[in-house]
Amino acid sequence: MKTQLLLLAATVAAISFPAMAHAFLEHAAPAAGDNLHASPADVEMHFSERLEPSFSSVTVTGEAGDDEAAGTVVVSGTEMDLPLKKLPPGRYRVTWHAVSVDTHRTEGKYNFLILP
Amino acid sequence: MHQAIHRHHAAAIAFLTALLLPSIALAHGVVGDRFFPATIASDDPFAADELALPTISLGNHEEDYDFEYTKSIFPKFAVSFAGGYINSHPGPNASGWDNFEITPMWQFETDPDSEFVASAALSVDIGGSGARAVADRFTTYTPKFLFGKGFGDLPDSMALLRPFAVTGVVGFAIPGTSSASKAVQWSGAFEYSLLYLQNNVRDQGFSKFVAHLMPVVEFSMNSPTDGGGTTGTINPGLIWSGQYTQFAAEAIIPVNHASGDNVGVMMQLHFYIDDIFPDTLGRPIFGDKH
Repeated sequence: MKTQLLLLAATVAAISFPAMAHAFLEHAAPAAGDNLHASPADVEMHFSERLEPSFSSVTVTGEAGDDEAAGTVVVSGTEMDLPLKKLPPGRYRVTWHAVSVDTHRTEGKYNFLILP
Repeated sequence: MHQAIHRHHAAAIAFLTALLLPSIALAHGVVGDRFFPATIASDDPFAADELALPTISLGNHEEDYDFEYTKSIFPKFAVSFAGGYINSHPGPNASGWDNFEITPMWQFETDPDSEFVASAALSVDIGGSGARAVADRFTTYTPKFLFGKGFGDLPDSMALLRPFAVTGVVGFAIPGTSSASKAVQWSGAFEYSLLYLQNNVRDQGFSKFVAHLMPVVEFSMNSPTDGGGTTGTINPGLIWSGQYTQFAAEAIIPVNHASGDNVGVMMQLHFYIDDIFPDTLGRPIFGDKH
């Protein structure tokens, strides 16, 4: 009984590898909670899955809600990149939406700080 | 005339565009910024395609080997099928298949902004479908309310508490015989997401493996309405969630002597069928994935 269940689980696990899944954020720069001494040139995000460019985006807003992008979002493979204006000291919010190529959606938001 | 043609062209282009663009899939366990893992002792509130196989519980003079498969029928409406094998000690006379259980579930509320989800379900434990030695001969019906709530909306002064989330289930078990008591079943989970902490609050530099760990404390209680005492367990443990699977291991701590006389352990391997087979088994049988 035990062996049969474990074999079935192993079989399901073995056939699961070719699939795609939710695109979870794996790394970002600036990252959540960062305290920076200078304005970053851009926001770089790396995800666990390839992204669907038409449905994936990131925005950076200042405390007044102004859009701080200096260009358009570039989505390529598992990466998303947004060039930024030169930012003065203050608190900024990064808000992202990612749709993996199998159409699963994830999203998130975080803050970073530029020190005076 | 020309305006009418333009309108027709615009409508046709919009229609073709809608056909060509991918529809966005419902995400297993994801509400807004929050990912809720599947829990072992307490049902999670998501009507999604998933498979728990196996769930192994050891302790209290018994070994249980369980499975549960959940299939979405319509978007936000799923039916789960669960069963298991009980191996009691001492002796083979107290071993065999437990009753099979069918649970339709409707996820009627999903609010990404407040990371809140709520569902209603009806579990039907089919009497006589299991072995006479271990399974009830009568059917039990349990209507349930399930919910999940993440605390990502806490103020900045409490930012380190934002990774917390709770899930809960309250059910009322109605046996199909007068010889057994009705009971309130209440269970839940307290979760702290290291992934949420890393991505939404403060990057701690966790490795990919550590970021996907979630400390959790579950509980599962049964309170008969005939005056019998409450029994149940508290289950602290860890859940690791990957892209397609998750693994959980938790202790089983009885809350009183009537609930057991030793500490056990339970483990579960869980598969996100909606991620593994997004275009076939992992999508609703009827309706769009929206």
